[in-house]
Amino acid sequence: MKLYEYAIRRVLLMGLVLFGLSLLMFYLTRGFLPPSFALAPYITPRMTDLQKLALAQSLGVATQSCPSFEAFSAFQQSCLVPVWAQYTGWLSNVLQGNWGLTLLPGISGTQTTLSVFFGRFPFTAQLAVMGAILTIAIGIPLGIVSATHNNKLPDHISRIVSLGGYSIPQFWFGYVLLIIFVLYVRVGGLGLLPGSGSLATNCVICFTNPGAARTVTGAPILDGIVSGNLHYAWDSFVAMILPAVTLSITSIGALTRIVRSSMLEVLRQDYILLAKSKGLQERVVIYRHALRNALLPAVTVAGLLTAFLFGGVVVIEIVFDIPGVGFTSLTAVNSFDINFVELYVLVTAFIIVVTNLAVDIIYAKLDPRIRY
Amino acid sequence: MTEVEPRQPVQARQSADLRHALHLFRRNPLVLAGLVLSVGSIALALLSHFLVNPTTWQVTHPILKNCWNNPLFGWGNANIATCPSSLALGTDSYGRNLLQMIVLAVPVDLQIALEVVLSAVAIGIVFGATASYAGGIVDEAILRVTDIFLAVPGILLAIVFMVVFGRSIPVLTGAVVLVWWPTYVRLVRSQVLSEKERPYVEALRSIGAGRIRILFRHVVPNSIYPLLVQATLDIGSVILTVSALTFIGLSPSPLLPELGNLASLGSQYFFTAPWLIIFPGLTILLISLGFNLLGDGLRDILDPRLRR
Repeated sequence: MKLYEYAIRRVLLMGLVLFGLSLLMFYLTRGFLPPSFALAPYITPRMTDLQKLALAQSLGVATQSCPSFEAFSAFQQSCLVPVWAQYTGWLSNVLQGNWGLTLLPGISGTQTTLSVFFGRFPFTAQLAVMGAILTIAIGIPLGIVSATHNNKLPDHISRIVSLGGYSIPQFWFGYVLLIIFVLYVRVGGLGLLPGSGSLATNCVICFTNPGAARTVTGAPILDGIVSGNLHYAWDSFVAMILPAVTLSITSIGALTRIVRSSMLEVLRQDYILLAKSKGLQERVVIYRHALRNALLPAVTVAGLLTAFLFGGVVVIEIVFDIPGVGFTSLTAVNSFDINFVELYVLVTAFIIVVTNLAVDIIYAKLDPRIRY
Repeated sequence: MTEVEPRQPVQARQSADLRHALHLFRRNPLVLAGLVLSVGSIALALLSHFLVNPTTWQVTHPILKNCWNNPLFGWGNANIATCPSSLALGTDSYGRNLLQMIVLAVPVDLQIALEVVLSAVAIGIVFGATASYAGGIVDEAILRVTDIFLAVPGILLAIVFMVVFGRSIPVLTGAVVLVWWPTYVRLVRSQVLSEKERPYVEALRSIGAGRIRILFRHVVPNSIYPLLVQATLDIGSVILTVSALTFIGLSPSPLLPELGNLASLGSQYFFTAPWLIIFPGLTILLISLGFNLLGDGLRDILDPRLRR
């Protein structure tokens, strides 16, 4: 099989995964609860039964031939639409780009799900990207040091760090950082780092000099840079430090372990011995010869690490009060806002699946031994 | 005599293997620490109901006001002299002895984690072995279903599952099993795939052993070591997931002694009473670290390639 054939096959499978995922989520939220749950968020006390019936019909949970709302509430057979029919109705809406109005408490019915989601998504993306950068910047060097100093002190330290990172409850680590950097390390009466929100709380200068930042991308750091308001960008960056450190701790642990074990494997191979016996410097052998091959297995877990990061944001955004989609999705699940949950799950899954696909293709390019 | 003799080399090799494993065990202090932590937490879980009287734990502590601040750390202005040593970690916002609550919470978390891992392993063995042995369309179908589950962050799936099916301990367990089973299906599948190409499988087939018998009596037991390592490592991760779920408000009950729930209660007071979140979280960390260290060490010991 050629590489592009493989890529096409993978893209088709990707569509299948996203379809299956949307079906799974829809069936979980609609298939196991009484049909009135789909209606509940829209109902206001002043609605007449006729209006409620019309609503149920417009949402696709009641049939057009349903005689009355009482019959619907009593789950009469003539009123109930099977879940698959509800799903196809929902899918045709969604494929036309109609994700409905948001049901989130406070802004219910005033904005579309899409605008709420993509208004908040940049905060999450910014956090996840910072987490990813930290993961790579810390995880890979730590893994290398661990492997090259096998069973010596640096190895033990790095193993404790990586296993600790892998075993630490993220929400707890977040609070411990808050206690340290907000409660105990204080500069001029203020916490060293801001504890909540997407902007440092003492940022007055951001809005006075040189004025407010324009919303271009939605992510505060980028917006600040794009609109030339560096105070704003810097302050947003400072506010993201603790959340990003908390978020990346698990993936740092995972990546360090993988780099360590694959580096150990590579260092044992004959060509490394050859390189050393040629008289090459230790540094050259490690960084020019061993590292390239050792990083290949690490690249394959990029999808897993992305899943770690996007799973982590739900908890991190709650701990640090960041107005992103992870935090909102919990509210959405609790208010049965199926569209928001589906959108969040599908966008996240899309990112993870695309990462996996990209990784596999890059892997094939990097390693000439791999053929599809 | 002729029957006994061929066995001796095998026995000798086995005891040498065992000695070597024990040697590796002793040489690696981290594994020993993991063993102490994990066995210690299991022992604490088994003994918890003897250490704390489960019928009186909900009674509000009469000296709440004096011991609201933690006597161990001396934060705030506690009247330390009046606090008994049994309140070493202070009291929580309901006036309950935090130390007792943590002791009672350990078995709850460990039980959920064990149930989740055992269920996931069982599902993994059944579906993974079926997929690899049936091959073809069955294999493809099972793989694609695991793809779907692996494409979404686990915690999200668990949140939706818990909100739909209600907040209770069995649902919490089910939600985490839903997240964990695909990993084991894949692990068992790849193990069985590599194992069934071994010569002994062909030998078994040639003496007329059935497929099911070969699979479940010979191939699965032979691929159990990686499964054991993964299961040990996952007990730690499952405890983290469970406590994260209860921490973000999906606890079966706000009063439930469960480590994530205790931390969640404590997080509301983290500026005035930081120990309320520090100690439950520290317990989670120690248990999880224990199982991860043990699993890591087991892998080193059981993997013959690393025995050098």
